[in-house]
Amino acid sequence: MTQEQRPSGGVHQVLLAVYAVFALAAGARSLVQLATKADEAPLAYTLSLAAALTYVAGWFAIRRAARGSLGFARVMLWIELAGVVTVGTLSVLEPGWFPDATVWSDYGMGYGFFPALLPVLGLLWLRRVRH
Amino acid sequence: MSALTPIAWIVVGYAALVAAAGAIGAALRAPRPRWLDQMAWMLELLAGVLALGALGAVAAGDRPDSMATHLGYVAALVCLVPIGLQAVRGDRGPWSSGVVAVAAVAVGVVAVRLLMTR
Repeated sequence: MTQEQRPSGGVHQVLLAVYAVFALAAGARSLVQLATKADEAPLAYTLSLAAALTYVAGWFAIRRAARGSLGFARVMLWIELAGVVTVGTLSVLEPGWFPDATVWSDYGMGYGFFPALLPVLGLLWLRRVRH
Repeated sequence: MSALTPIAWIVVGYAALVAAAGAIGAALRAPRPRWLDQMAWMLELLAGVLALGALGAVAAGDRPDSMATHLGYVAALVCLVPIGLQAVRGDRGPWSSGVVAVAAVAVGVVAVRLLMTR
């Protein structure tokens, strides 16, 4: 679907709001951590920054998808889900690699598991839009 | 500093009320009512009082574990509702109530985090 269309429905507005909040929360958190104590857990803080950038990209992707361009959103949401699952699993199996928690540690437990739920909700919305 | 705790819990409770009202409005597919905006602005007022209290405590000599994080939460506390309402300005569709609900939940969470970082 390449032609731009009017946004369908309005669920994407709520998704956009949640993505904006997570981009702000993860971005601010990781930047403060990298600026003040980067040597304590560089991998964890870098992954938090990667999560923040993913949320920023996800915000743009969902906005584009609401106008009819679904491709970028499909890629970004799967990348985000893969990130949460990979980092979440590693944080459980290899806790020593993460002296401090990342946004995606324990599948986003520190954020009420919303980081794991969010890409799933996004993909479900995308599926609805596609059909 | 202890006076901040009850104010923060009032903010959390009121934010929960606004979030519930927004979520119910979205679930019922009802156009966003004016009173939801008024509730959100009341939440902004309470958040502003909490932010001023937190800044006053810092000015009085309280030193949070991480000053940058603490001040970041203070800034977020007062920015979330205006940004949320701005995002749905001119749109009174049912899902715009969901956006107000998300902003209210975020304010509640930030208020708790503010207490944890002081």
